[in-house]
Amino acid sequence: MRNKKVQGILWVGLIVILTLYPKIFGIYYTNLFLTFAIFAIYSVSFNLLLGYTALFSFGHAMFFGVGGYGTALALKHIAGLSLLGALGIGLLGAIVLALILCPIVVRVTGAAFAMLHLAFGQLMYVLALKLRNITGGEDGIGGFPIPPFSIPGIISINMKDPANFYYFAITVLGVSLWIMWFFTKTPFGQIQVGVRDNAMRIEYLGFKVPQTRAVVYVVAGAFAGVAGSIFALFQNLISADGGLGILVSFGAIINTLVGGMGSFLGPVWGAAIMQIIQEVTTRYTDRVELVEGLILILIILFAPMGFVGFLRWAKQNLFTKTAAKAKLEKVS
Amino acid sequence: MDPTTAMYIAQGIHGLAYGMILFLVASGLTMIFGMMDILNLAHAAFFMLSAYFCYQFLTMTGNFWAALLLAPVATAFFGILMERFLLRRIQAFGLMSQLILTVGVSLVILAGVKIFWGTESLPVKVPPFLSGLVMIAGMEYPVYRLFIIAMSLVVLAIMALLLYKTRLGKIVRAAVSDAGMVNALGINVPLVSTFVFGVGIWLAGVAGVAIAPILMVFPGLEAQMGMDAFVVVITGGFGSLKGAFIVSLIFGLLSSYGVQFVSALAPVLMFAFMAIVLAIRPMGLFGERE
Repeated sequence: MRNKKVQGILWVGLIVILTLYPKIFGIYYTNLFLTFAIFAIYSVSFNLLLGYTALFSFGHAMFFGVGGYGTALALKHIAGLSLLGALGIGLLGAIVLALILCPIVVRVTGAAFAMLHLAFGQLMYVLALKLRNITGGEDGIGGFPIPPFSIPGIISINMKDPANFYYFAITVLGVSLWIMWFFTKTPFGQIQVGVRDNAMRIEYLGFKVPQTRAVVYVVAGAFAGVAGSIFALFQNLISADGGLGILVSFGAIINTLVGGMGSFLGPVWGAAIMQIIQEVTTRYTDRVELVEGLILILIILFAPMGFVGFLRWAKQNLFTKTAAKAKLEKVS
Repeated sequence: MDPTTAMYIAQGIHGLAYGMILFLVASGLTMIFGMMDILNLAHAAFFMLSAYFCYQFLTMTGNFWAALLLAPVATAFFGILMERFLLRRIQAFGLMSQLILTVGVSLVILAGVKIFWGTESLPVKVPPFLSGLVMIAGMEYPVYRLFIIAMSLVVLAIMALLLYKTRLGKIVRAAVSDAGMVNALGINVPLVSTFVFGVGIWLAGVAGVAIAPILMVFPGLEAQMGMDAFVVVITGGFGSLKGAFIVSLIFGLLSSYGVQFVSALAPVLMFAFMAIVLAIRPMGLFGERE
C-alpha cells in the first residue's frame, strides 16, 4: 500500500518537474532536454527489437528518417495541414516502410537480420542524398511551415514558441513511451520475450514466430517514426545525415548498450548519459570524438551490462548487504 | 583504337584498381570474422591510420618503398595491441559489445590522427617511375593503377599459398570451421587468432598505403572505405574470401562504369546490388553460416 502511495507521489513529482522544467531551466536546457527525449524514445523503440525480440538492427535510422521526411514533405506540400496530421503522415510513412520490409526481414535472425538492415538503411540514405528534387539532397528539407496545434473552435496554440512546442512534444513522446511499456506488458509482449529466449518452444506452443516478429517490427518502426517526426518539427529541418545516416543507427545501438539492453528504461538512461557526455565535452574540449571513444571503451570493459546492469550490481553488492546487516542488528 | 573503347578500358583499369584495394581491406575483415566472429568496425580506421603512417615515413625517409613496407607493419602492431588487450577481455560478452568497443577504438584513432596530423589533405608522392603513363599496344595506361593491381595480385598469391600450402594455413582453415575442436587438439588457437588478426590489419594497412597517392591522406578516408569494405563482406558472405574477391571486383567495376553512365546514381548501384543479393540469399553470395 505504501509502495503505491510512494509511486503516486513520484509520478506527480515527475509531471510537476516536467511541467515546470522550461520555466526553471530556460530555453537552452529545454531544447537540450527535448533532444534527449526524442533520442530516448527512438532508442527505446530500437530496444523493443533488440532487448525484447533479439532482433539486432543496423538500420533503425530508416524509420526515424522516414518519419522525419514524411512530416517535412507533408508540411511543405500540403497547405493547411494540421500538426497532428503531419505527425500522422510521418508515423504512417514509417509503418508503411516496416510493412514493406517485414515479409523479407522476419524470416532471418542474428547477423543476417543486422546486415539486411545495414543494406536497406544505407540504400535509403543514398537515395535521400541522390533524389535531390524530392529530398533536397545534402541540405535536406528545412524551413517548412509549422502549423499551430489546434482543435477547431476550441483552442489554437502557436507551436513556434519553444515552450509550447516542448509541452506538445513531451506529451507525444510520453504517451509513446507509455504505449510501448504497455505493449511489453501484454500477453503478446510475453510471447515476444518467449520468442527471444526460445523461438522453437514458442512455435511448439502454437504461436506463430515470424508473425510475432513482424508485429513487433512494425510497432518498433512506428515509434521510431514518431520520434523522427517530432525531431523534424523540433529542428524545422530533416537531412540525410541527421535523419538516415549510419551514425543515427549507431546512436540507438550505443544508447541501448550504454544504458543496458536487458531493461525497458535502459535506453533512456543511455540516451541521458550520452547526451550529458556530449554536452560536457563540447563545452570543455574540441576533442569530442576522443572522449566519446574512450568512454565507450571504458564502459564496455568495466560495465558490459550497461548502466542498468551496473545499478543492479551495485544494489546487490553494496546496498542489500548493508540493509540485511541493519535488519540483523535490529533483531538482536 | 577508337577513343570510346580506350575510355572503356581506362575506366575498367580504374575499376579493377579500386576493386583490388577494396579486396585487400575486405579480405582482412572477412578473415577476422570467419576466424574469431569479430565484426571489426575499426578496420577502416586502421586503413586510414596506415595511410597516415605512410605519409609520416615518406616525409622522414623520403623512400616510398620503405613506407610501403613499414607503414602496414606499424599499423598491424596497433591492431594486435587492440586484439590482445581490449577485444580478448570482452570475448564472453558477444558480438554487440565487440561492435561498441571497435566503434570506440575507431573514434579514438580518428581523434588521434586529427591531433597529430590535423584535418587537411596531405599529399603522398610516388617514385617517378610509378607515376605517369605507359604505352602498351598503342594505348596509354596509368602506371600506378597497374602497379596496384599487380601488387594486390602478389599479396593475394602469397596469402593463398600461406593458407592452402602450409601447416599454419591448415590450422587457420580448421579453426575457421571449428575453433573449439582445434583448440582441443592442443593447438594454441588464441595465438593463431592474434596472428590472423594481425595479418588482417596488415592487409588493410597495405591498402591504406596503396590508396594514399591516389586520394591523398585525410580523415575522411575511413568513412569512405569503411562502408564499401563492409558492404563487400556482407554481400560476398561473412568469412568467405572467394566471395570478398568476386564482389570487390564487381563493386570496383560498378563504381567506375556507374560514374560514367549514371553518375548521379552510382553509389545507389552498390547498395541496390547488396539489397537484392541479401533479399534472395540472406547469408551473402558465398556465405555458409546463418
